[in-house]
Amino acid sequence: MSLVRRGRWITLVALVLLAGVYVRALAFTPIERLQGPAQKIFYLHVPAAIWTEAAMILVGLAGIFFLFLGDPRLDRFAEASAEVGTVFATIVLTTGPIWGKPIWGTWWTWDARLTSTLFLFFLYLGYLLVRGAVRDPGLRARYAAVLGICGMCLVPFIHLSVYLFRTLHPQPIILKPSGPSLPDSMLVTWLFSLLAFTLLYVGFVTQRYAVSLARDARETAAAEHG
Amino acid sequence: MADVPQNAGYMVAAYIVTAVILLGYAVSLGRRSRNL
Amino acid sequence: MAELLRQAWAVARKDLVLELRTRTALVSAVVFTALVLTLFNFGRDPTAVPTLDLAPTVLWVTFTFAAMLTLNRAFQLELENQALEGLLVSPLSRTSLYWGKLIANLAFVAVVEAVGLPLFVLFFNVSVSRVLLPLVGVIALATLGFVAVGTLFSALVIRTRFAELLLLVILLPFLLPPLIGAVQVTARLLAGRPLSESVGYLKLLAAYDIVFVSLASFLFRFTVDE
Repeated sequence: MSLVRRGRWITLVALVLLAGVYVRALAFTPIERLQGPAQKIFYLHVPAAIWTEAAMILVGLAGIFFLFLGDPRLDRFAEASAEVGTVFATIVLTTGPIWGKPIWGTWWTWDARLTSTLFLFFLYLGYLLVRGAVRDPGLRARYAAVLGICGMCLVPFIHLSVYLFRTLHPQPIILKPSGPSLPDSMLVTWLFSLLAFTLLYVGFVTQRYAVSLARDARETAAAEHG
Repeated sequence: MADVPQNAGYMVAAYIVTAVILLGYAVSLGRRSRNL
Repeated sequence: MAELLRQAWAVARKDLVLELRTRTALVSAVVFTALVLTLFNFGRDPTAVPTLDLAPTVLWVTFTFAAMLTLNRAFQLELENQALEGLLVSPLSRTSLYWGKLIANLAFVAVVEAVGLPLFVLFFNVSVSRVLLPLVGVIALATLGFVAVGTLFSALVIRTRFAELLLLVILLPFLLPPLIGAVQVTARLLAGRPLSESVGYLKLLAAYDIVFVSLASFLFRFTVDE
């Protein structure tokens, strides 16, 4: 099966699974008593946040291996992972405020996850802009790898900064977003959602990789005939 | 015992927004990978 | 090691001499600093917010803008007359080229900060005499961090369109951890808090410097090699 079709199939399965998660979360998972129905946003928000960060780390790792091995497949993968990571970041940054408003009373809260994801979003943006601004494919791949590696190394510092700020400036915490330790039914829903997002990541990256592959092939062909 | 907050509207909004973003991206990718 | 330093100093000295002859970047950065500090004063309501609350932020925003101005010229002058190619063909190692640029950039930013700090003290009527040494220490730590990353990235954007804008966008997330640390420690110092309260942030700054100076120094070769 070609790469594109494999990617499409995985994405389709992931979307079906996500639909199942929607049904389970909305209709068959209990409502959290303190936060109300809005707490269920957590089932989408957190898996998306996990993959936003994981995608960035993968971009960085791909960058490291690319600089040492020079394999263009690693660069294509990094490009795909960055784009998908940006999409997931958008989900976190939109569902976050929608969750924050009823729970904390304000649209934006500088909570750890939202702040970290905002930083990551800026990182992704910069990465994609650099990729778009450099014409030569070899140069582009190298520059992107450098930026990706730096981005990946920045992640722990983002967490550290946010952690320091929060512990030294205690916030009036009314409700913890994830609530106390999760009862089984909620945990199961959350795990299914994580699985769905994982498959979405894989499916999206596969398709996006195929797009890059085709574009690279076109560029090489044009360069040869040009 | 206090009432459960009535904020289902926010939940629905978030679920719709997420679906729109994911489906939108899936469609965009589908189109881009068709014209390879 | 000695060779590295010798070469780095040769590069730094070249940049410093060039800049001293024209003084354009330096003067514009200093003037800009004075302008921003003045503007901040007129932008606030003196009766509303105690000066001490805003002061650290004002100081660091000013320093950051000034640093951006100097970073932008870091590699631009090499673009003229293909000076960059000349540098690369010479027996200079890539790493010493980076260190030379870094030293020159740090020197420029240090001059701007040396002018900016007294102006800040003057305009905002804050007392720094008791905490001058730790304050200078924090300024040095934070500045080293973001100038190190900025020097690497300025090489990255050199051949792109809208280079200055792109530099700012990709640098932004990397500025946040050192700036957060710097602003927090500065705030505590100006408020007369004991240094022990800032230990966490100081460790953040130190760790950031160690990681990113090494990383930028190592990755630099990938941004200039063909």
